[in-house]
Amino acid sequence: MKYVSFATSIHDLGILKEENHDEVILGHRDFSRFGKLDDLQFIELAAQAKKLGMRVVFEWDILMIENVFAHLITCIEKFQGHFDVLRVQDPGALEWSLKNTQVPVQFIAENANRNLEALNGWCEYIGDRLDRLVLSIELSRNTLAEFVSTLKVPCELLGFGRILLFYTPRNLLSGLNGGEKFRFNDEISALGESEESPHKGFPIVENKHGTFMFHIKEFCLLEFRQELANLGLSHFRIDLRWEGLNFIKDLDNLKEIYPQDLMRGFFLVNKTDVLFPKLKNSRLQKREGNYLGEVIEAEKSKHLAILVKHTEGIRPGQNIKILHPKGEEFEVKIHWLKDSSLTEVEHIGQNQLALIPYVGGVWVKSQLFIQ
Amino acid sequence: MSSFMPEILAPAGSLDKLKVAVLYGANAVYVGGQKFGLRTAAENFTTDELREGVIFAHARGAKVYVVLNSFLHDKDLTELPEFVEFLDKIKVDAVIVSDLGVVRTVRKHSSIDVHVSTQASTLNVEAAKLWKNMGATRIVLGREVSVKEAGKIKREAGIEIEMFIHGSMCMAYSGNCVISNFTQGRDSNRGGCAHSCRFEYSLDMGLDTKEKRKAYFMSSKDLEGIRVLPEFIKEEIDSLKIEGRMKSHLYAGTMSKVYSEALNYYKDHGDFLSEKLLSWEEELGKVSHRAYTEASLVEPAGADSIFNERENNTDNEWQMVGTVVEANAKSGIIIEVRNAFNQGDYIEVIPFEGAAFALNTQEMMDLSLAPVIRTRPSTLVRLPYQANVTVHNLVRARGTK
Repeated sequence: MKYVSFATSIHDLGILKEENHDEVILGHRDFSRFGKLDDLQFIELAAQAKKLGMRVVFEWDILMIENVFAHLITCIEKFQGHFDVLRVQDPGALEWSLKNTQVPVQFIAENANRNLEALNGWCEYIGDRLDRLVLSIELSRNTLAEFVSTLKVPCELLGFGRILLFYTPRNLLSGLNGGEKFRFNDEISALGESEESPHKGFPIVENKHGTFMFHIKEFCLLEFRQELANLGLSHFRIDLRWEGLNFIKDLDNLKEIYPQDLMRGFFLVNKTDVLFPKLKNSRLQKREGNYLGEVIEAEKSKHLAILVKHTEGIRPGQNIKILHPKGEEFEVKIHWLKDSSLTEVEHIGQNQLALIPYVGGVWVKSQLFIQ
Repeated sequence: MSSFMPEILAPAGSLDKLKVAVLYGANAVYVGGQKFGLRTAAENFTTDELREGVIFAHARGAKVYVVLNSFLHDKDLTELPEFVEFLDKIKVDAVIVSDLGVVRTVRKHSSIDVHVSTQASTLNVEAAKLWKNMGATRIVLGREVSVKEAGKIKREAGIEIEMFIHGSMCMAYSGNCVISNFTQGRDSNRGGCAHSCRFEYSLDMGLDTKEKRKAYFMSSKDLEGIRVLPEFIKEEIDSLKIEGRMKSHLYAGTMSKVYSEALNYYKDHGDFLSEKLLSWEEELGKVSHRAYTEASLVEPAGADSIFNERENNTDNEWQMVGTVVEANAKSGIIIEVRNAFNQGDYIEVIPFEGAAFALNTQEMMDLSLAPVIRTRPSTLVRLPYQANVTVHNLVRARGTK
């Protein structure tokens, strides 16, 4: 397993070389979410990296509306030949890269792509131009193990760095920035907290590409490096763009010396769907098969009013089960049936209003089933 | 005058809402089954209800699209083929997906059209071409794209285009927000969004003052695109989508009615009179909403698109008092009451076509024919019959705030 990281200066490249990195990600400020380099800086840094024997990865990870995209593809030409690999997330950037360049492509599959079918789909589509898939940090170790062992391409995972929670193209901070003028290539940052969340101090950054919010803790899988290597992960990404690349020199002690709190995220287990069944009353969802209808009025000592849903309607003499929203069940026989004009009838059809005798304890929204 | 007319695509969180949306003029509805969608807390449709919903919609010339736009994991995908085959069998018109794995699964197991969800944040021509190559038949563009750009995407990618025209908006690029995942343990892209973007935040911006700025800085105003309708038509955008499967019957009905009326008016007249626009805007304003914005439909959304206010600021709103469940000369008008009203109150029924009109609340009775002075929610009330009232009509009253 190799390490891969970002550089924004010659100094950074020197550090990466010392740490035996053979690849570096460079972020141009027009193409990369947090890129700092202008044209000249990019070209100079890329040249220097190549001199040091490193592969240069051109990071093009912003998402682009058509107007921005159309502009950027007129700009990228000047960098052709200065990088070895393109790294993209926007499917438009991927499509354009495949048709208009010859270089290998690293595809950032960190959003969506939680299943092998999707990842295999990208592998097939990109074909032998695919240099690497960048996987999501929301995948648990078991899922990662399955994916990495099944996929036939090199896979990368963020191993250390900020966790991006939110990305919008809108400028959310500059309007609040004490009236200070926001210059186009500047960056505004803030720390946010909400009384409605126990977490305090979300780093927020606004730049020319929009506004980004990060988790209060940074992601760290340093203690799992051997396990990840054994799984077959090809690249372990270290993102120190905010705290400085010097920390990369001491990975074994980084957890102890790093100034930010750290977390493993969902690496051990991802249970972010376990609460879903509690978001609604499952007893109200059983409207299949012998479902007869729903109580829409319960008038004590008088009647239950039902909106009939069964295709065959309702008849007196039928035995029914009533399921209360709280789970209690009642089994009753329909002794009489009336329509809305209070006339006793022998049948009421689907989507009609029907009255049956009141059943003590039954509420509105109770569900009826034919027995 | 352009003969092209987009479809109005309305949300339907339940079978009842599907019927309301279709009867009030929607050309298509999008619905969720019990799994695979993003609105876990919505009532959603059972398979029987899906079958009935498709029959109901098709009988009235409307289409039904089923959302499968959750970011599905492998264990979910194992259950998907059976459901997709069922959807194909009942002749669902399309599925809405956000993930390549789901696209491929649907293509393998059915011949249903595939619409790529806004969750995939498709924003440009090349991205649309890629999804077309994957087998998609329509793209629901990201809400950051302007109508003009959308027209270019349609022309150059050669694929149907759908855009949001109304409703709540994610502030983030859709599918690119995981705040809920990491702070609440609920996967926002599998239906667990906790709406953290609507919270008020204290912001330490490193200014000299120790005072933090408090702001709802991540909360977006709601989209309203009625004034942009001519642009949608000019660019031949195929489908105009109304957000809100979790929203009320009143919302589904009002939105379907206003936007379909506006389109039909344009079809007949070739323009929008300002007087008509004002009346449609007034109707849209009567439904619960945040302040409206055109967001990025014309220009990229600016600072004025941020809804820097506490939620539930519902001035000047009307509320739904109920739905008509029966209306005939023998039984009168029977309303399923959602919000209470009194004898003599002004309430009005919204017909499927034409202007709202008052209902007589002087003579109210319960189902047993006893007089009623004040109605109660979750009961039925009987009003004197009026010939132009029909089942599924919505009844509203001005809010009490």
